[in-house]
Formats: sequence, C-alpha cells, structure tokens
Amino acid sequence: MTTSEKPGGKISAIVRACRLISRMNQANPEVPKSDALYYQMLANYYTRLLNAREEGKFIAAHTVFFPSEILYAMDIVPMHTETTTWMMALFLGEQAEILAAGAELGLAPEICSPHRGLAGAFALGALPRPDVMLWSNLICDNTAKSGELIMELNDCPGFFLDHPFQRSEAEEKYLISELEDMISFLEEKSGQKMDWDKLSEIVAGMDRQMELFREIGELRKAVPSPFHIRGFLQLLTTDYLCPGQPEATEYLQALRDELAEMVRQGKGAVSPERFRLMTLFVPPMYLMGFLEKMSQEYGAVSVVEPLFTRWAEGRLDPSKPLASVAKKASLIPERRSMYGPLGEEALKDITTCAEQYRVDGAVYWAFMGCRHTCATIRLFKDILNEIDVPMLVIDCDIVDPTINPQEEIREKLEQFFELLEDR
Amino acid sequence: MVGEHSVMPVTVPRLDKAELPTLERFREVNATFPKTAEVLAHKRQGGKVFGWLCTYVPEEIIHAAGALPVRITGYSQETELEDGNAYLYINNCSFSRSCLQMGLRGEYDFLDGVVAGSTCDGARRLFDLWHYYIKTPFHHVLTVPRKYTEKAHALYYQQVVQFKQHLEEFLGIQITDDELRHSIEVYNESRALLRSLYELRKQDTPPITGAETMEVLDASFRMPKELFNQWLNDLLDELEAQDRAHKARARLMVVGSVMNNPEFIRSIEAQGGLVVTDELCTSTRYWSDPVVLDGDKSPLEAISRRYLNNFPCARMVPSDGRFGRILELARDYRVDGVVSQIIRYCVTYAHDLPLLRDKLKAQGIPMLALDVEYGTSGSGQIQTRVQAFLEMLEARKKG
Repeated sequence: MTTSEKPGGKISAIVRACRLISRMNQANPEVPKSDALYYQMLANYYTRLLNAREEGKFIAAHTVFFPSEILYAMDIVPMHTETTTWMMALFLGEQAEILAAGAELGLAPEICSPHRGLAGAFALGALPRPDVMLWSNLICDNTAKSGELIMELNDCPGFFLDHPFQRSEAEEKYLISELEDMISFLEEKSGQKMDWDKLSEIVAGMDRQMELFREIGELRKAVPSPFHIRGFLQLLTTDYLCPGQPEATEYLQALRDELAEMVRQGKGAVSPERFRLMTLFVPPMYLMGFLEKMSQEYGAVSVVEPLFTRWAEGRLDPSKPLASVAKKASLIPERRSMYGPLGEEALKDITTCAEQYRVDGAVYWAFMGCRHTCATIRLFKDILNEIDVPMLVIDCDIVDPTINPQEEIREKLEQFFELLEDR
Repeated sequence: MVGEHSVMPVTVPRLDKAELPTLERFREVNATFPKTAEVLAHKRQGGKVFGWLCTYVPEEIIHAAGALPVRITGYSQETELEDGNAYLYINNCSFSRSCLQMGLRGEYDFLDGVVAGSTCDGARRLFDLWHYYIKTPFHHVLTVPRKYTEKAHALYYQQVVQFKQHLEEFLGIQITDDELRHSIEVYNESRALLRSLYELRKQDTPPITGAETMEVLDASFRMPKELFNQWLNDLLDELEAQDRAHKARARLMVVGSVMNNPEFIRSIEAQGGLVVTDELCTSTRYWSDPVVLDGDKSPLEAISRRYLNNFPCARMVPSDGRFGRILELARDYRVDGVVSQIIRYCVTYAHDLPLLRDKLKAQGIPMLALDVEYGTSGSGQIQTRVQAFLEMLEARKKG
C-alpha cells in the first residue's frame, strides 16, 4: 500500500489560485489590505511546500492542532493535512476525486471527510511525499487514528503526540515530555537540530498573535460588527498554518487595524445589521461565497465562534519555549469544549459569549464527520434556550457538497431569519 | 446467491435447560439486567453500585471499596433510540446512544456513580451527557494515555491514584493495600476461569458455542465477581461432564467495536460458522491479561500497569499491538476467517480496517467487514453476507 511520488500537482494548483487571488486583491483598491496579505501568506506556505523537495528540505505532514512552531524552529517544512484537504476543496473543487480514492482504500464514509480525502490524496500521489508523519489525539479519534495509514501510504516513519485529556500539573509535564520526545525523533530523522533561540522567537510571535486574536474578538463585539463570515476561516487557517510567523502577525495586525477603523466609523460587515449570529462549528468550506452573499442579503453577521476563535486568557513565555508550546494547547479555543471533559466552565462560556456579543441566534453546523462536536448540539441548544437564544442546526459536510444541497441550506437559513425577525 | 450449503443442515442446538443449568442462571442475569436480582440485593443491603464505561476503568478499585462494579451497556437488541437520538446526535455511535437512552429512562437509576476513561469520542461524550442530564451522584473520568511508554504509565498511575482518592472521599473510607490485593485475586481468578472456558474453544469440536460464551461474558460484568466465579466453575464442570461437540463449516473470529449481543453471534452460527474466539472489549480484551503482583510493585501500581498494557483497544498507538494480538488469536484458535463488525461512527476501528485487512491477508486469513449498529441481531443483509463468506471459506478449504 505505497504510492509513487509525483510532484505535488494539487499543491501547485493551490499556489496558483492563491497567487491569483492575492494579485487581484492587490489590484483592487476596495479590497482591504489584510485580504491580500492573507492570500499571500497562503501562497507562501504552499510554495515552500511545493519547492521543499527541490531545495532539499525535510517535510513533515501533521494533523490539526499540532504544534508546528517546533517544525518552523527546526527549519522543517510543515504540511497541515486537514487544511490542505480543505484547500483542495475550496480552491480546486476536487473533493469528489480524493474522497473516492479514500473510499477505495476501505475508509468508511463515517470517517471525517478531510481525513478520508487526505488519505485519498496521498494514495493518488497528488501531494508531496512527507519525510515523516506527525499526528496527535488533539482533537478527536479521527486525528488520533489518521497517522498510521498515511505512514503506510508514504512508507515514512511517524510520531504520535499524545495529548492528555484533562489539565493538571502531571498532565502538563506529560505533554512537555511528549514534545521533547518528538523533537528527538525529528532531530534523528531529519539530521537537523532544534534551534531553541528560534523557537523562543516563534513563541514570542505566537504570544503576539494570540493577543491580536483576542483584540479582533473584542472588536467584533461592536454593533454593527465589522467582520465578514469568511474571515472566520481565515483566522483559523492563520493559526493552523503559520503560528508565530511574521507574515501571520502582519496579516493579523492589518486586519485588527482595519476592523478598529470600521468600528471607529460605525461601519459593519453588513449593512444594515439585522441579525447577530453565533456560529458553532465550521460552515462548509465550499459554501463560503454563498454564505457571504446570504449574509449581505439578510443583514446577518457571525459575531462570535466560541469553539474556534475565542482564545482563553493566558500568556506565553519565550524564555520557556517548550512549556509555552504546551501551554498554547490549553489556550486554543477548541480546547475549551471540544477536548477534555465538558464542564460547567465550558458551558458557561457559551452563554457568556451569547450575552457579551449580543447574539440574536446561533447556527450549529453539524458536520457529520465530527462526532464529538455534534454530541454537544442538544446541550448547547438547551443552555442557549435558557437565555432565550434560538439555535438552528444544519447537517453538512465541510468538504463534501453532496451531503446537503445549497438550496436546502438557503431554505433553512431563511426560515431561521424569519423566526428571528418575528421575535 | 444460494449455494449448496445454504440448505445444509447446520446443528448449533439451542440448549436443553437440563444440559447446562448454570448457563441458564447466566441468562437470567442478562435477561434482567440492569436491575438484576444480584444488583438489587446488593442495594438492599446498603451496598453501593458503580457503573463503568470502558475497559480502561480499573474495576478492582471499585471492588476493593466494597462497592459493586457493573458495566454500563445498552440494549442487547435492535431498539428504537428516540431518547438517545434526541440527546446525542445521530453521528455518535449507537452504543453511546443506547446506553444514554437507558440512563435517561431511569434504567440505571440505582447507580451511585459513573466512571469513564478518555478512551474514545463516543465514551467521553456519553460521560459528558450522562453527567449533565442524568446526574448520578459520583462522576469520574480518567485520562487514559494512548501510548505504552514509561511516561504514559506514570501519568496513568497518577490518574488511578486520583480515582482511588476520589472514590475514598465520596464513600468516606480508606481502601487498603490488602483490600486491593484481595480484589486482584478475585478478578484474576475470574480471568483464569474465562481463559479455561476459551481453551475449550480451541478444540476441533468445541463444547460451547460463541453465542453461549457471549452470554457468560455478559454476565461477568453484571454481577458480583465472587458469585460469577462460583457459577463459572460450575459451568466448566458441567461442560466437562457433557459430551457436547460443535462442528462447523468454518472456524470464525469476531473483531471490532463493542458488542455484547449473543444473538448476533447466534445468527452467524445458525448458518454453520462457529465463532471460536473474538477480539472485543466485552471478551478477550476484557479478561485476557491478569494483574501481575510482584514483590516490588504496590497493588495499585500493578493494577495501573495491567490496565494500560491490557490487550489494546483500537484507540492505542501504535496499532501493531492490537494487530499482533489478533493474529496470535487467529493462529491459536485456528481461525478460517475473521468477521469484523464495526458500529457506524466507531471511527477508531474504521481507521484500522484497511491496515488490519492487509495484515490478515498477508497471513492468508480472509475478512468479512460488516457495518452494524449496536444491538443488531445479524438479520437480513448481514445473514446474506455471512452466508457468502462461509461459502467462500469452504471453497478455499476444498482447494
């Protein structure tokens, strides 16, 4: 079960798409500067990956929420597996081909589609062959289980990073020891040494980015709220692909400044702003354009995404870089209610969010591949109901458009907006 | 396809009550679970009962606390899951939804506590919702590492210590090392007896079927262990005294997701396959490995080491540990074919499937992969697929 390596055909196409969008954005004075910076950042990320082999660089494929700060500090080229799959869906529309290839491997349709698609893409030889596969159990069974098949498909070694489930001193120590073991593994396989000074710099950059994420979150509390719905995915991607990287900081600063200016001028992402929404989980990637249009049409704006953009309070310490990398895992928004026991604090945060952001309603994108998240649907609905915030649930797949047609989604959203209007 | 063997008389006789009276006693426990006579008697005497959700929860600690540990399972039959579906979204496995429904309907209202491990998404979310909606007085979840390194063992040991302390605090008692040693003895005896039962299944014509064995296993985590051990001793005596011999078209092994429905196995055996072993968390993964007490280790350390090193679930990394044990069982029990039954949305097992298929293929062992729901009895399409699989295995034997 191995693949013959081909130059990353899909990666090359992603790079072309990002460059094109970036150039178009730069040429259009009405497009905010941050948009051009964002697509340039994406283009740079995938260009590094595309050229890595030719430049003799070591490539590490890794799953979501993996501390790629360590890879950057070791001059290893990261390949974020889930994001790369959804980029293929978003920019290339080739999800059918890679999902079919995943099915041919024997992966059941219940397995999260980015993971099925990723295995399929490797089986097709459409992605660069990684030198190592890195994966972890943060955030679910799919991430925990996706590594070994990819190792086999690429005939490469791998390292599994075991994230403890709860938070305690012993568990924090365990995670740090796991990171140490991973660094030893990478040093052995790549022949490259960890540059601790560089890691400290990256941690300082990540700390700055976390502050910017929080500032952006605060600005979105304004009425009207200044942030458009596709921006949500851009924030995710920024942390997933370029944590602590200067280009990510530059993008976030530009975005923060633009939003601050909009707030100062009383401008919203939609005008007039009629419905302030909480987004739970992730809307389908391939529908972002459609959702953007609906957002404008109905004056509906996503003001907060507690599962994905609400970072916990806490700072990183560059003088303790490894401990900081471990600490970041406890501060990421996803850690609050998607991993670890779902305690009172996590539930309280959902209702606090709804109140602080003056939310009119919540939309839960029930991604059928994400079991542990969907398990909270009833619970969130009940607690939001207690504070009189209605919640709409839409079944979907984040990369596969065959699950729920666009028109059906439109109908559900329209009905929900009617309900909000009546209230 | 109707092959010549589809009409072949296959004899997997239903049991004459007089033949194995102890099996009837186990059946009675299963038929009345969760509110069995044994559980109710324990409660009447003022005893505490704790439900556990996964084989990474160390039962011996609950037992040493003087409480009765029972495994939380769902309906052992095909059932509408209206309440389960209303609270846990449908992309959570039917095992979780089935257990939750029983909890929501008060069928586990006698429980004083619920203990889970962070073993899989289904189990941890079942625990979360149980905590929120059912509100059993005591709740505890253990962080269970996914590795076997010494550091992982140290973390798990710390979790086991914390669980013991939490339990002591809740019950207002101290659990002594002697009590733990005694519980280890009781549980190890149970494991040894189950091993004896399984040894019988290695015979060319085993005296017990796979479905009957599942009935024994089900009872093993639903009643006091001391009593179970007595009964299992009785059953082994009865089996020795009888001249039972089950011939089969093929010797099969069942692997995959949690499954404790004897009817599923019975439906396979009714077609002439004989399930001679299994790799399930309700069977070999539950009882195979004893707690090893040696001079250096405290009983708690011994328990901790056993539970993390136990016959691995698909959650553990690397998967080779699990695959190796499956291949070992297949060889020891001279298995002709493997039936993989994976509950929909049980993705830990679903991810392993392509890799396991390759490993088995390399050993010349065919695999039938079934997508099932928890509690399925193996009717309809499953029967058709099993029938075709058995025909294929027979054709291979004939050369």
